[in-house]
Amino acid sequence: MTLLFDPQLFRLTLVVMVPFLIAALGELLTERAGVLNVAIEGIMVVGAVTGFLVTFSAHSYGWGLLAAMGAGAVIAAVLAYFCVTLRASQLTVGLGLFVFCVGLGSLLYRIVIGVRLMAPQIRTLPPLPLPGLSSLPGVGPILFTQNALVYLALLLTAAVSLFVFRTSWGLRLRAVGENPRAADVLGIGVFASRYVFTILGGALIGLAGGYLPLGITGTYSDGMVGGRGWIALMLVIFGRWTPSLVLLGALLFAYIEALQFKVALVAKAVPPQFLLMLPYVFAILVLIKVYQGAAAPEAIMRPYDREERA
Amino acid sequence: MTETQAPSALLPLPYRPRRLPWEQAGIYALGVVVALLIGGVAITLVGGDVRSAYATVLRVSLGSVVGVGQTLNKVTPLLLATLAVVLSFSGGFFNIGVDGQIYLGAIFATGAAFAFGALGLPRVVLIPAVLLAGIAGGALYAFIPAVLRAVFAVNEIFVTVMLNFVALFLTEYLATGPWNDPLAGEAITRPIPGGATLPMLIPRAGTHAGILIALGAVVVVAWLLARTVLGYQIRAVGDNPRAARIGGVPITVITLFALTASGALAGLAGAVEVSGFHYRLILGLTPGYGIMAILIAVLARQHPVGAAVAAFFFAVLLVGSDSLQRSVGLPASAVFVFQAVIVLTVLLAEALRKR
Repeated sequence: MTLLFDPQLFRLTLVVMVPFLIAALGELLTERAGVLNVAIEGIMVVGAVTGFLVTFSAHSYGWGLLAAMGAGAVIAAVLAYFCVTLRASQLTVGLGLFVFCVGLGSLLYRIVIGVRLMAPQIRTLPPLPLPGLSSLPGVGPILFTQNALVYLALLLTAAVSLFVFRTSWGLRLRAVGENPRAADVLGIGVFASRYVFTILGGALIGLAGGYLPLGITGTYSDGMVGGRGWIALMLVIFGRWTPSLVLLGALLFAYIEALQFKVALVAKAVPPQFLLMLPYVFAILVLIKVYQGAAAPEAIMRPYDREERA
Repeated sequence: MTETQAPSALLPLPYRPRRLPWEQAGIYALGVVVALLIGGVAITLVGGDVRSAYATVLRVSLGSVVGVGQTLNKVTPLLLATLAVVLSFSGGFFNIGVDGQIYLGAIFATGAAFAFGALGLPRVVLIPAVLLAGIAGGALYAFIPAVLRAVFAVNEIFVTVMLNFVALFLTEYLATGPWNDPLAGEAITRPIPGGATLPMLIPRAGTHAGILIALGAVVVVAWLLARTVLGYQIRAVGDNPRAARIGGVPITVITLFALTASGALAGLAGAVEVSGFHYRLILGLTPGYGIMAILIAVLARQHPVGAAVAAFFFAVLLVGSDSLQRSVGLPASAVFVFQAVIVLTVLLAEALRKR
């Protein structure tokens, strides 16, 4: 039991929560505008590889993360062109881009790094203790001695929540995703909104990918995203397209992932593969609950056509 | 992502003949040209010579009897995986878990080969038993998302993707643990008994009989979708689930059947890979056949015969990129880039033409 409530476990939970949370927030913004980005897993791969390569070459976390965001934005822009302008099937194009990105990840790594015996490494993001708060007993070491992206992800959750539900821009965004025709009649730029939020969402998804090598592993390897993108996609439904509930879901999945690391250290008799399966099996169990009463934005996956009869 | 979605958005492409075949051929050619250009850039960037690299691709995949034989060996799993995708897509179900079902099919087939092989059964019994075990493995594995979709309305995309990871770890466990070949020092199992291996079709080229199974499956799936009530009902659900339900199609049964049968085809692919090619279960048995199958199904507009043609072409790319991996050091998954570029270019050209 002490294992389940270990302060170290909670600290690790927040560290591994970041990619789930940021990617899911990006996807949330995209879906709120009526676009489903199923390339999310692939965009995270491209974010991870560009984040790693730029950080490794430029010795700067900032440039690495920006590059990851840029790469994510570019892929998302392609998706937006297909789905918003050309009104192609969002699932088909998304899956095509997903496959493209998975291949692009290892190709870019090979082009820049070449073939080496030892995989190049970067130092992971250092913890940034918040003055004063980090010395609080109990929560200090868990909540306030984290790397910068943990704080950023939590702030971002609040920001997205405020934006979507408390600003007029957010109201317009929701209108575009729920009823684009009505939004268009009111003079809201449906096409522009969909582009902006798909690209912005893609940048966040890229950032989430870039965090994996920078914040967790220190290296890039094929398959390192490991389904986190798909789980983030699911978290948006889990969170009912609401940032605060998405945060809850991200914490839950991060906890399971962190727990699996911890258990692996203690229970050496259990084959590690069975522990590694845990998050995925858990995801399937959660899915059954997730789909009860989930209501997506009304116009999601429906390309908007001005000339179509209502 | 719910059942109320517009089916036109859910279905990638309709199961319908096109109007102008030459125009469509031009679009496909354009896709190939763009992929070749991007491939050329990639080869140059990793320090290879484009002309000799492409010459090598053609030579190893099509330039000799052995080359064609090896390409046919790759067509087999690709084609079976594509049929699995075609069958589920036709019903509007997105089975992204073909790779996982291939692994489960391979696991069941390997287990059956070990178990029945130990009994000393004759080959004519052993081979069908191994293949049937593979079919059962894939079908059972796909039954999980099928039930979740049919009963709990859980989207099959997530479940099948998650099960891919579970299958991968299960394979790794078996290949490094209980079934491990201690002599190999890798994540591979002991070889299956010789009596459980598929016969050779072209011994000189190393082509096993799996291609005949795959072509047989093309006929069965084409017949099922185009000529049977069941196939009609699957396509009806895929075209418009609401209309199908009102028209009296038993949606639950169709959902269970389409996804489970899709898994059965994937499982067969896994069994054929074990029994015909690797003679054991290995980690990396599928280099993403299920993922490529999605692309092929989109290119072939979900037509089983078109799928056979596209699968052959993708197999050439696969064999070619394998050789590029050895000669210029392109990573194995770079083939995804070329394959996806073809599909995205075709989708782009088609969408632009429709405007």
